[in-house]
Amino acid sequence: MLSKITVSPAPHISKAYSTRGIMLDVIIALSPAVAASVIYFRHHAAIIIAACVLVCVVTEWLCNVIRKKPNSLDDCSAIVTGLILALSLPPAIPVWTAVIGSVFSIAIGKMVFGGLGSNIFNPAMAGRLFLTASFGTLMTTWTVPATIDPGMPVISATETQAVTQATPLAWSKEAIKGKAEVQTVNRQLTASFLGNTGGCLGETSTIALLLGGLYLLLKRTITFHIPAAVLLSAFVCASIGFLLKSEAYISPLLHLTAGGMLLCAFFIATDPVTAPLSRKGKWIFGAGVGAVTMLIRMVGEYPEGVMFAVFLMNAATPLIDRFCKLKPAGGVPHG
Amino acid sequence: MATEIKAKLTFPGGVHPPEYKEITEDCAIEVMPAPRQLAVLLGQHIGAICKPMVARRDKVRAGQVVGDSDAFVSAPLHSPVSGTVKEIALQSHPVLGRAPAVLIETDIQAEAGKQPCPDRFNKDFDERQYSCEKICESARRGGLAGMGGAGFPTRVKIEPNPRLPKHLLIINGCECEPFITCDYRLMLEWTWQVLAGIRLAARAAQIEQIKIGIEDNKPRAIHAMQQAVDQSGQRGRIEVVPVRTKYPQGGERQLIRSLLGKNVPSGGIPPMIGLCVLNVATCAALAEAVVCDAPLTHRVVTVTGNAIVRPGNYYVPIGAAVADLIDFCGGLTERAAKVVLGGPMMGFAIADLSTPITKTSGALTFLSQEMITRAKYDRRVTPCIRCGRCLTVCPENLNPTKIAHAVKKNRLDLADQYYMSACIECGCCSYICPANIELTGYIKTGKILQARTKKKMPE
Repeated sequence: MLSKITVSPAPHISKAYSTRGIMLDVIIALSPAVAASVIYFRHHAAIIIAACVLVCVVTEWLCNVIRKKPNSLDDCSAIVTGLILALSLPPAIPVWTAVIGSVFSIAIGKMVFGGLGSNIFNPAMAGRLFLTASFGTLMTTWTVPATIDPGMPVISATETQAVTQATPLAWSKEAIKGKAEVQTVNRQLTASFLGNTGGCLGETSTIALLLGGLYLLLKRTITFHIPAAVLLSAFVCASIGFLLKSEAYISPLLHLTAGGMLLCAFFIATDPVTAPLSRKGKWIFGAGVGAVTMLIRMVGEYPEGVMFAVFLMNAATPLIDRFCKLKPAGGVPHG
Repeated sequence: MATEIKAKLTFPGGVHPPEYKEITEDCAIEVMPAPRQLAVLLGQHIGAICKPMVARRDKVRAGQVVGDSDAFVSAPLHSPVSGTVKEIALQSHPVLGRAPAVLIETDIQAEAGKQPCPDRFNKDFDERQYSCEKICESARRGGLAGMGGAGFPTRVKIEPNPRLPKHLLIINGCECEPFITCDYRLMLEWTWQVLAGIRLAARAAQIEQIKIGIEDNKPRAIHAMQQAVDQSGQRGRIEVVPVRTKYPQGGERQLIRSLLGKNVPSGGIPPMIGLCVLNVATCAALAEAVVCDAPLTHRVVTVTGNAIVRPGNYYVPIGAAVADLIDFCGGLTERAAKVVLGGPMMGFAIADLSTPITKTSGALTFLSQEMITRAKYDRRVTPCIRCGRCLTVCPENLNPTKIAHAVKKNRLDLADQYYMSACIECGCCSYICPANIELTGYIKTGKILQARTKKKMPE
């Protein structure tokens, strides 16, 4: 009997909640967005999501085999990376492109840094950035949702007649250039809220993402700081533009619901590994993501800026952490 | 049955581990007869280690001094029983590994062991018949030390210090550790003795105002103490304050934060902001030492957990081995996986069951595998994902993951930059960590390494 008694440092009990539990929660929270993407983009969505998840898992396993490291698949983080990457890809993207993106996400985005917890950049965003740089056209080719046209034709970037068939952010860019009516773009708010519009697989449906985000907040898997900071700062930036020049800039609400804003606020920016530790740091990080996104959307060349914003703020995270070092409650100790 | 109480006062951070108080909260304090042999450790608490005052084969009486020290921060040790000194030898120590102890063989023929004396106190107790000096002297002679955990010698705490005048006495009846119920039973059963001790401490320290902080999961204790305060006409002076149930509410720094909203300076002590904090068990011992002239040789220990046959609250001679307590409580069950001296959050896991009970051991917790969650039992540690939960729960507002990883990489300078010395080692960060990293363990190691490099502690 005595031989079974173990010793270890205190405390001797712990909360029954693991990294795996966190990742499973994220997967559960992503399921409404996955469902929405399958509803709107049918088999395109199903194939790309399955491919990304599978390739991410296999890549992580292979990396561990090559590095002769213990298997790390049971923390489920590869599945989360695969899901987020897939949900941020356009529906019409060829499967091989998605596969390349997935391999890059895991191998270069995560495993070369030392695996989960050591990566500097969000792996899914690293993969997406790589694809954007390599296959620019494929990454900006959008599809009409199956709920509007079961044939799911590709939206031409130059065609300007059918507003309901474009992505809201592409239209926002057109409006800034004066090529489209802001009012017509703003009318897309309902479609954007439901997801019945063009865009990346998992980014179109605001309501599905909100459901998932709410689940994460209620389960306390994430804290409210980063989502609140991202959305608030984006809203403020968009409002400034809207109030100054409402004939060129679309409504701030549409900015929040369109594109990757919500996926970013609840699932990408909140990736704990690449976000600051302290609450103050999280506020700064989130505000930065929101502001940079809006800068790119309203001033920059690209219609969407979430990916660059997250990447930039990931790089700033160590610095933010250093500036937001917590001070002991009882003041700084002497000696 | 007292009605439910919901308290608002609390501190930022902390965790809510399952309480498990129901295992022993209704077990009345029971006297455990002295075992055949006792081992009184010479170093039981903060302060100088005692020198043995007896030699091998000496006969000792119950209450006789067996160890003492000339140092100011120290407390003498007494024999809990009459018997013969077998030898002075190294014995397992819960913190120090091995430490010298006086081994005493109990004389079975001698009178029955010491009995608790709560009946000697009632509502008519008047502390003014004892002078301040007499109380301090009794606290010193009785070998009193804080019985909540750290074990700071009580005389040093209560003696008035002209450089650090104290204006408020805080009595700690929180008992925030899961499982432990010894202070709760003391407040319920020995209410008058506890109150007498509180009044004596206030008189010795020349403090007028007293606050008794009790967690709101102990409504009966709050009720009992309030009633005693009212009946003895101390209402204007002594205030019973319910505080919110949250670990580590019973840490003195946290209790002060909850009650007064003030922070004790990091690395400092409560007198620096004019406070004196005593545990209820210490108060009970003080009353006994002053009124009955009885030294601190016995204490109430909660024997609990789901791997012991007969859990309960026992009045145990200090120096009794853990194995003796296990025998007295009917033995371990098959499922026993961990023996913890203290509570599950801050207690010390021991491997040697001959480890003796000390003045600071409030509990003996026997945990089964199921209670130590699976991952913790298997020590399945995954990489830190920087989720920041440890920062959120840290009651001292530190950055546990940064400190722990600095220590892991042997960067004590970096650990210091993150204020390692301000850690109170409460264990909240390790408790909450989803990656199961022993953050508190690393920080404790770092502190010991740091002390060694500063030559404060021997290798």
